Amino acid sequence: MIRVRGLTKDYPGSPRALDGVDLDVARGEFVALIGPSGAGKSTLLRCLNGLVTPTAGQVWVDERQVTGASGEARRRIQAGIGFVFQQFNLLRRLTVLENALIGRLAHVSRWRSLLGWFGPVEVARAAATLARVGLDGLAARRVDRLSGGQQQRVAIARALLQSPAVILADEPMASLDPALAHTVMELLRRINQEDGITVIASLHVLDLAQTYGRRIVGISRGRIVHDGLPSTLDAAATMRIFGAAAGPIPNGRA
Amino acid sequence: MSRGGRWAGWIALAAVFVWSAFSTELSVRRMLEGLPFMWDFLRRMMPPDPSVLGNALRGAVQTVQIALVGTGVAAVLALPLGFATARNASPAWLFYVARSLLNVFRAVDTLVYALLFVAAVGLGPFPGVLAVVVYTATVLAKLYSEAIEAIEPGPVEAVRATGATGLQVLRWGVLPQLAPQFLSFTLYRFEANVRAAAILGFVGAGGIGFYIQTYLRLLNYPAAASVLLVLIALVMIIDFASSRIRARLV
Repeated sequence: MIRVRGLTKDYPGSPRALDGVDLDVARGEFVALIGPSGAGKSTLLRCLNGLVTPTAGQVWVDERQVTGASGEARRRIQAGIGFVFQQFNLLRRLTVLENALIGRLAHVSRWRSLLGWFGPVEVARAAATLARVGLDGLAARRVDRLSGGQQQRVAIARALLQSPAVILADEPMASLDPALAHTVMELLRRINQEDGITVIASLHVLDLAQTYGRRIVGISRGRIVHDGLPSTLDAAATMRIFGAAAGPIPNGRA
Repeated sequence: MSRGGRWAGWIALAAVFVWSAFSTELSVRRMLEGLPFMWDFLRRMMPPDPSVLGNALRGAVQTVQIALVGTGVAAVLALPLGFATARNASPAWLFYVARSLLNVFRAVDTLVYALLFVAAVGLGPFPGVLAVVVYTATVLAKLYSEAIEAIEPGPVEAVRATGATGLQVLRWGVLPQLAPQFLSFTLYRFEANVRAAAILGFVGAGGIGFYIQTYLRLLNYPAAASVLLVLIALVMIIDFASSRIRARLV
């Protein structure tokens, strides 16, 4: 499903963000990507859907090569990958429904989408998805009138409406308080189980990773230093990922 | 800046102010001496002459029309100019060329442009429209470019991440962030342009100013008073309506 080989990313003037990452993820997996901030989690996720162009290495998603793809080919690949951002990245002045429909842009007639006309079928589909993530009745509300937890669910609805094979979530709960973090992770788990959508979520809270991830990938200084079932995440593994400087296992918010 | 430097700055500013006050013949005595004449001027305007209301209203309508057409055309021209002068949307060479050019054009105010255009295309509202277009386009371009530079990149990236095309990203990631602000700036300039267009008639570029100037020259103060009252009412109505709309935009 996802194949990463020798993925390396350099940003000018800073230490190597990714350093020869190899990773295979099978269809339907729920992977929790953990590591200290600055370890390269975001960069890795962004390389997976082509938002960031790596310095070296290859990425395939769903048998299609992401690296080197451009134009229509890149857009086709991106359409099949939902991305959920830490800061939600919604259009604040648009309604919940409009934000959700943005997930359909790659599937509908381009010219009609430019005029803002998605048609009753797409609107019904978006409304159903919004209901599914627990936002029924809020479709006409402006997004900036919603709570943080609701906004992140709009963002998840937007990703779901892409009908993706994969959802990448970059610290999806970091801007939320702990109770809401569980709601969002629960939602991602349901999507993973009910729709068979592969989920890779970067998390910096270990207990969330252990609760929701069915596989834990630890990353430190741009390298994968741990990969296994949640039960394999022992003290030694935690030390490898977060380093001695981290002290006790970091639970809670960074 | 050092303490001494700051003091020197204040002293220099004070010196320039005093020098300018003398040069401009600032005089409280002369102002007081002028008060009776101002009073006389007002007294001779009373009562305003209602028979010229037709002219005044015609002038008022034309003033609004000049502002409307001028602002509308300027807003369209300012769109590409705004993107060209936004640091984050324009290649460096274009940015510098466009920004310098706009700074040159913005240095001259609407009334001066009106003088030029009256000489070029003749009397009437048309040179007034052209004057409003040139000045407003440069001002709006600057306001637009600042809004473009302040755009949030996150939502734009999110729209791109759905596999949207460049135009779709512009329509759904960029436009929703800019449109309310652009509309608000444009309305605000329209408001200012109604006031600017009101004096364009002084140089023969149409609108209500033509009647004010004509009646003053004819020493027909009651008629001038009627026109002035219409102008005041017009500006108040436009300001009120425009600020109400702008408050709902953002």
